[in-house]
Amino acid sequence: MLHYYFLLGVKSLRRNPALTALMVLILAIGVAASVSTLTILHVMSGDPIPQKSDRLFAAQIDVGPKENYVPGQSRSDHQMTYKDAMAFLNSKQGVRRAAMYGVEGVVEPARKELGVTSMEGVATSADFFAMFDVPFLYGQAWQQTEDSSAADVVVFSRKKAEKLFGSVNPVGQKIRMMNGEYTVVGVVDDWKPSPRFFIYNGRTAAFASEDEFFVPISNAIRRETPHSGSMSCSSSREPGWQSLLESECTWFHFWFELKSSSQRSDLQTYVDSYVSEQQKLGRFERHAPNKLFNVREWLVERRVIGDDSKISAWLAFGFLLLCLVNTIGLLLAKFSVRASEVGVRRALGASKRQIFTQFLMEAAVVGLVGALLGVALAIGALQLIALQSRALAAVAHMDWVMVAVTFLMSVSAAVLAGILPTWRACQVTPAIQLKLQ
Amino acid sequence: MLHMKNLSKVYRTHMIETHALRGFEIHVKQGEFVTVTGPSGSGKTTFLNIAGLLEDFTGGEYFLDGVNVTGMNDNARTQMRNEKLGFIFQGFNLIPDLNLFDNVDVPLRYRGLPAKERKERIEDALAQVGLSSRMKHYPAELSGGQQQRVAIARALAGSPKLLLADEPTGNLDTQMARSVMELLEEINARGTTILMVTHDPELALRSQRNVHIIDGQVSDLVRKAPSLVVEPTLAQSA
Repeated sequence: MLHYYFLLGVKSLRRNPALTALMVLILAIGVAASVSTLTILHVMSGDPIPQKSDRLFAAQIDVGPKENYVPGQSRSDHQMTYKDAMAFLNSKQGVRRAAMYGVEGVVEPARKELGVTSMEGVATSADFFAMFDVPFLYGQAWQQTEDSSAADVVVFSRKKAEKLFGSVNPVGQKIRMMNGEYTVVGVVDDWKPSPRFFIYNGRTAAFASEDEFFVPISNAIRRETPHSGSMSCSSSREPGWQSLLESECTWFHFWFELKSSSQRSDLQTYVDSYVSEQQKLGRFERHAPNKLFNVREWLVERRVIGDDSKISAWLAFGFLLLCLVNTIGLLLAKFSVRASEVGVRRALGASKRQIFTQFLMEAAVVGLVGALLGVALAIGALQLIALQSRALAAVAHMDWVMVAVTFLMSVSAAVLAGILPTWRACQVTPAIQLKLQ
Repeated sequence: MLHMKNLSKVYRTHMIETHALRGFEIHVKQGEFVTVTGPSGSGKTTFLNIAGLLEDFTGGEYFLDGVNVTGMNDNARTQMRNEKLGFIFQGFNLIPDLNLFDNVDVPLRYRGLPAKERKERIEDALAQVGLSSRMKHYPAELSGGQQQRVAIARALAGSPKLLLADEPTGNLDTQMARSVMELLEEINARGTTILMVTHDPELALRSQRNVHIIDGQVSDLVRKAPSLVVEPTLAQSA
């Protein structure tokens, strides 16, 4: 019977076409508004590395000064010092460890017509690539030996490699950059985790930027490559690179990869004992708790989804609710003129339940058509949103999950809106309606 | 086929009580063609609605095809309506969105018959009313007489035991009315019991029996009515 009701629903679209079109449009606008904001939330709240997000841990250790510190106060600095990053790198904790900081590098391409350009990248350690499952188009990551020797090796992004070398495999080629001659050891295939969680310097950077190159962190340190991004220094220091490395300034991100999430407590014990040892040396005066965050916890801690996005979503749902109320009114109008049909169907053997199902299905068909239009409107709305900024452009795109959500939302909204009108339609006394004809 | 004993129907509002039927007695046998006449407001339609299980009654008993329907719940009455009754209305009551085939299909859908059987029944019913060639037409494309024929086909498709017709010729001109009446007579001749409300004395004369209702009571029962009852005598309430 559901197939029959569906066909009746499709036929009924032609009845009161203006009223039907208005309902479809209202539903579509409400759903499109909700889906547009929901899409952005969906992309922002996505797990960038689901296969191991529960095994990757960022550590937060507080090197801030004791003055003005209130125990329990949450710390906004999630980076660490060079000393601590190097200590963790050599700790042998977990199966992989990666320290990193953002760098900018000047490159002088062999193709002179390209000119000298600057590019954004990451100085990191060899484990980075395997830890974050970075795919390679050509070549591979550098090895621990190159980390140890602070070798002049570089891995480019696919886009950057194509720009610098064309579509050929550039592995083995030399290129002048960062005041040295670097050997290309690999080209990363399209890889853009969203959000860019491993170095998190605010939401704009998390969704918009793409890392164009990677060099060994030891090499960047040797070449005294300054950081690109935020740095927090809690005490004064002497000028100079070496002084910076020895200071309590924080500018490194650090990630551990564990064999399983159950080893988290072992890692916590290690970090606690490390900090405890350092406290004996007069560091970590605050005695603040040391924290570990897996990827999902990290995204929450760093507030990847801003309050403005959440408020937009709530407002959009409020708008959908308004659309729903309007649809209820229109469905009441549409169904009220069908009283005679209900009377006839009841006389011919339809139970109240069958009438209820039929009319609810008609509402669902309206929702289905609304969803089709809603998807089109949502895609248009997202394109408009994407025009606002690079960060929004990175998140304002629909995937199949959101298309399915649109259909589900539209049909559910229409069915919800149809309940009252349908219930009222079922209350028709057939005898009265039949006589009125 | 249909037996009402001391049936009453009272419409109550907070101000007044209206006795639409009182002490109503009637017995219609299988295969009869009974017409029901009476002045406006006498209770003819109320009787037909109760007979068709479209409306509940206040007191008395009603047996339909041997089944006591007194106090029967809505679902059971709906099923009985679908399986045993056919309706023909003055206003045809066809569904404008559906073509003739789909209109006739409506009661069969609710009976849950397989598609093949439904198709056979629909084609047969439309053939009986002479509209086989117009199955894909919509009601608005037909004349009033043709629409009423479709309504008859819809009633026939379910092979009802009792056909209830509420002034089926009321909206038709004389020629069309006569044609519809002939069709009903043919259907009756094939064994279907027919109960028809009419204002038309000529049609009432053509039935096997005429029941005259005044003030919610059967005033007289006339077999092979030679003429309508002019000065009715109220029947005794049981």
